Amino acid sequence: MDKHFVWLDCDTGTDDAAAILCANKLPQLQIVGISAVAGNVELEKTYYNVHRLNRLMGTSYPVYRGAEKPLQRDLETGYRYHGENGLGGVELPLPEKIPETNEPAWDALYRTAVEMKGELELIATGPLSNIGTALLLHPDLPEYLKRIVIMGGSSKGGNRTPAAEYNIYADPHAAQMVFDCGVPLTMCGLDVTLQAVLMEEDLEQIGALGTPAAKFFHKELLVPLRTQECGTGLKLHDVCAVLYAARPELFSGRPAGVQVETRSELSIGKTVTDLYSDKKFGFQNAFVVLSLDRAAFKKTVYDLIAQY
Amino acid sequence: MTYPVPIIYDGDPGHDDAIAMLLAKASDNIDVLAVTTCCGNQTIEKTTYNAQRVCTLIGLDVPIGMGQARPLLAQPMTAPNIHGQSGLDGPRLPEPEVGLSSLRAVALMAKTLQEAERPVTIVSTGPLTNTAALLLTHPELKAKIERISLMGGGIAHGNWTPAAEFNILVDPEAADIVFSSGIPIVMAGLDVTEQALIYEEDFDRIRALGGEIARVVAEWLDYFYQFHRSIGYIGAPLHDPCAVAYLIAPELFEFQDYYVRIDTHGEFTRGATVADINRQTGIAPNARCLTGIDRQGFVDLLAESVRRLSHG
Repeated sequence: MDKHFVWLDCDTGTDDAAAILCANKLPQLQIVGISAVAGNVELEKTYYNVHRLNRLMGTSYPVYRGAEKPLQRDLETGYRYHGENGLGGVELPLPEKIPETNEPAWDALYRTAVEMKGELELIATGPLSNIGTALLLHPDLPEYLKRIVIMGGSSKGGNRTPAAEYNIYADPHAAQMVFDCGVPLTMCGLDVTLQAVLMEEDLEQIGALGTPAAKFFHKELLVPLRTQECGTGLKLHDVCAVLYAARPELFSGRPAGVQVETRSELSIGKTVTDLYSDKKFGFQNAFVVLSLDRAAFKKTVYDLIAQY
Repeated sequence: MTYPVPIIYDGDPGHDDAIAMLLAKASDNIDVLAVTTCCGNQTIEKTTYNAQRVCTLIGLDVPIGMGQARPLLAQPMTAPNIHGQSGLDGPRLPEPEVGLSSLRAVALMAKTLQEAERPVTIVSTGPLTNTAALLLTHPELKAKIERISLMGGGIAHGNWTPAAEFNILVDPEAADIVFSSGIPIVMAGLDVTEQALIYEEDFDRIRALGGEIARVVAEWLDYFYQFHRSIGYIGAPLHDPCAVAYLIAPELFEFQDYYVRIDTHGEFTRGATVADINRQTGIAPNARCLTGIDRQGFVDLLAESVRRLSHG
């Protein structure tokens, strides 16, 4: 099997944590680095949360600090959805020794992409501030990235505002840079992620596996489950992006022109797609994922966590 | 709804506006009190002339008030690619036998509301310029407006830009005033109107009813159909008639009540109807958004309306 070499950029975050747990066990993916960005919770939390996951998973993926705030806007966190620590209030221990690095996320991403000679794929499940910064500092980064898969956006309504999904809303300016950068881009937005649903009994079933990772998965996700965001059931938004990178056959979608609204107070952060209109943008800069095989999704997540 | 529903018909005819007017005239459930025109599909001179010709054709003898030549703030915009240079290209129409009211659109709306015994529904099938101007200049008449049933917008998408539908895009500031007014709104947006498709067999059926009205309506539909086929539709979406058909036969429609705001500032989203479909805001709905239609029932209503006007 050809491995996808992936860089994860996350604002961990309950569903980011679930996505990292899944990515670690997907045989199609080889994680080469993880960068932290402020989003669901502050950077210091998202950064150490990845270290905590390294310990839980028994891994030692390199972890890098990224942006403390969006490029132009103030940070708006999502405590209600992720708990104040970002992990649904579950206390995970830190590794005994944390390899500290001064290399910021954007430089580490660029260095790795160059070293891997165009084989690196980027999966971003938070606000796109780190990637935007990397594009500003390293304008030739797109030449070295094979593809970008994001969790973010929506071709219809939003979840943070009626118009906008949280990750794009949080840093719309960075998002527009990513949509403009020319790297093949897949958008796993609310169109698909609202279908990535686990019900409480599905979560309990995973928790009953009994391992520390399974119990963590169950417990940390009870917080977002109980917010009843966009209807009943837990939406595993970020898991869609890693699963798409590994198992695209579980999903379907269409290429589209996508522009990020940055000027309107009402619609800021809306990913305007031309999927449904007569009028097209005249270019297609993203593959917009629109649906998934829900039964296969559920089973895959269960099987991945069962590997711990 | 208490029938008959008294309405002021405000539009920019337009092929689908003309058919909306016909539905209103033919129905026992609707009592048209006045017609007002706005610029949109074509210039105000052309839409007003078209309104007079349509009223003449269908025998609608009510005051017609001419609107203003431009939107509240935006630059004027027309749609000659869809409706032709006249705004109602296709079959030859009778010259107007009905004159214009001495009152301009907003003044006629105000007078009609003042004189009405019970609250009136405004049916709007063009940009919302007149209704917004009415609300700005006669706030005391708000209570006389039962609801505003409009064709415009789209929950998920546009047609004139990826985010905006034509009627709202032409005058977003007016739409913002209307949607913020607190008056109950029925929004027949693209979500429903692109399902209100007319096919060849439908206008053949109407043509077969015989008589001038049937012939003209069939030719309008044919004209509209050919255009939409040329840009990839499988049928002709009868946008504007949905705003009237809901008043006549609400049972033909599915709907959701949402809080909807109008985007007036976006680079890509100006003119979008932003609907709170995931109930993020906690703000009570201001619009009944039509989302589905019994297409066959809608076509039957149209055919029956033409039959009644043609043969009594």
